[in-house]
Amino acid sequence: MAKVIMKTRVLTLLLLHLLISVFGKLNQDSIDKNLVNSKVERKIDIATHLVKTVTSITLENKGTSAIRSFLFALDPSLKDNLSFLSAVTKDNKDEKLEIAETSVAGLSDKRFFRISLLSALDGGKSIVVEVEAIYSHVLKPFPLEITQAEKQLVVLDTNLFFYSPYPTTSQTTVVTTTNSNIESYTKTKPVSQSDATISYGPFEDKAPFSESQLRVHEENNSPFLTVTSLERVVEVSHWGNIAVEEHIDMRHTGATLKGPFSRFDYQRQQDGYASIKNFKTSLPASARDVYYRDEIGNISTSNMKELDESVDVELRPRFPLFGGWKTRYYLGYNVPSYEYLYYKGDHYALKMRFVDHIYDDMVIDEMQLKIILPEGSKNIELKTPFDVQRKGDEIHYTYLDTLGRPVVVLSKLNLVEQHIQDFELHYTFQKFLLLQEPLLVVGAFYLLFLVVIIYVRLDFAITKDEAKESRMRVSTLIDEVQSAHDRRSALYQSYDDAINKYKTSKDAAALTSSRKKIDADYKQLTQQIQNLQAQLKAEGSEAAEKVAELQRYDIQYKEQIGLAIAAAEKLVLGKLTRQQYLDTEAATTSKCEDTYKKMESLRSAL
Amino acid sequence: MLDVEQMSRYVSPINPAVFPHLTVVLLGIGIFFMAWFFVYEVTSTKFARDLKKELVVSLVASIFMGFGVLFLLLWVGIFV
Repeated sequence: MAKVIMKTRVLTLLLLHLLISVFGKLNQDSIDKNLVNSKVERKIDIATHLVKTVTSITLENKGTSAIRSFLFALDPSLKDNLSFLSAVTKDNKDEKLEIAETSVAGLSDKRFFRISLLSALDGGKSIVVEVEAIYSHVLKPFPLEITQAEKQLVVLDTNLFFYSPYPTTSQTTVVTTTNSNIESYTKTKPVSQSDATISYGPFEDKAPFSESQLRVHEENNSPFLTVTSLERVVEVSHWGNIAVEEHIDMRHTGATLKGPFSRFDYQRQQDGYASIKNFKTSLPASARDVYYRDEIGNISTSNMKELDESVDVELRPRFPLFGGWKTRYYLGYNVPSYEYLYYKGDHYALKMRFVDHIYDDMVIDEMQLKIILPEGSKNIELKTPFDVQRKGDEIHYTYLDTLGRPVVVLSKLNLVEQHIQDFELHYTFQKFLLLQEPLLVVGAFYLLFLVVIIYVRLDFAITKDEAKESRMRVSTLIDEVQSAHDRRSALYQSYDDAINKYKTSKDAAALTSSRKKIDADYKQLTQQIQNLQAQLKAEGSEAAEKVAELQRYDIQYKEQIGLAIAAAEKLVLGKLTRQQYLDTEAATTSKCEDTYKKMESLRSAL
Repeated sequence: MLDVEQMSRYVSPINPAVFPHLTVVLLGIGIFFMAWFFVYEVTSTKFARDLKKELVVSLVASIFMGFGVLFLLLWVGIFV
């Protein structure tokens, strides 16, 4: 089952599990007696801490009816350690065959997989299928404990023959070891060994489920590094970023260290063959802001290389890892959203690796993937490349959240490098919800300002200081008088402008209308100052006298303006010669200036 | 479920390259208005205070401060 689409509710999930288990019971196959493995070539690679097998099966249909699928049985010695299984036909290596776990009546102790062929295999025909299987934790250290300087030896204990529900006509098995240092190996003839390969077979005509011991004891110092627990957190932000953080618990699962650990010997003699000094993690090429930390803080012993296709981070734990030793760290980085996030209207899809590279030939016993979506994401649908368990959705709270962000939690056991495949997570998100975060900050600031506005209006004084209040009122009134007066002064200028304009354009109507407008403003301001003066008087302030004086000067000024306008009108009508007008204008201007100066000094003396 | 092939790549509504500039400009304006507001609050007497002016200045200040702070968060790598 390549597609898993599950609803969000836990209830539905439970129901589905129930359905699957019921379906699983029904999902039973029988062994087709007409099928024969005419030729089987098995390659078992134990160069690393994984057991990688590639089995090339020539399947022959000796019956008359066509078959669509066949069964692949897991060897009893390996059946609990399967991490990954895939199958292709030899002619078409690009298209993966569909694989489903199944069972056979009466053989409940065995694990079977049904591999469906791309096209039906007719009677008398044969087909070559290549099955790749990766097993973890199969190689057992032997001895179980070694000292610091000792080399690590491991043992492979499995079946010499291809474990199949069908009879096998001819088969060979090739074991690839780490190096030529092989302590011992099963010498069932025909067998030959050269360098790091042991070849067995061909063995002819073996019955279904044939077994014979195959034991290889070899030196294997490759890193026996196991990620015991991985938590991968992917946080999607619609401001253009996807943050990834991986919390990793790892353990050296090779032969445990016996006796003391000497840092001196380790440094001087470069021993500790089986220990892990460092390893390399490949991150996506667009990864930025990479950090490598643990509980104490930054782990400075790391190197980062930016390559064309990836960002390689060389990680060196705080201490070398010997057998049985553990370490724990987290590695995080950011990638731009356009690498993995797609959209169409309000519909979004995150297409990203379910698990990423941690180190070469990695083994992850248990992992949890948490995908944190933006607040307000709905209609979450998941599509995974392999079976994963979807746990109940969680809510995550971080900066500027109100209702919390939905978190999709997925978990899977026993993963290897071949599981680095893309999952798809579809959801809907309304674009305007992006504004929620800034508006939240705006709201917070406005609230603060409102509190200040209210606070300054509160009076915590026990007694009322009348004199001070009066002073404050007077100063406010004076401020208002000053600002009103300033505006009135600006109007004087407007009168001048109107007169000048009239003199050039000789348009009496325009002068009247602009005068009317200025007069209205002027009257209003004068009235305002009058009122303020009355209020000042009521307060008993001496400033009231000064304001009254200001008003008197203003009347004088206004009179001069009246004269200037009359003179200008006469000039335009020709009742006044140019010289007479200039004399009058000089007189009014000097008087105006005089009054203006007096007013200004009064205004500032208020 | 839509096919990813039919969808386009999602980029931020605002180019992350301009986050620093937006932060500086918006916070600059925001701080100016905020300063104006606070200076007004502490200098004006209770008879001279104008509620409408206070509300308008503080609203402008909070809008600019709000967006400025958001882009500051984004700039420093807190992707909200």
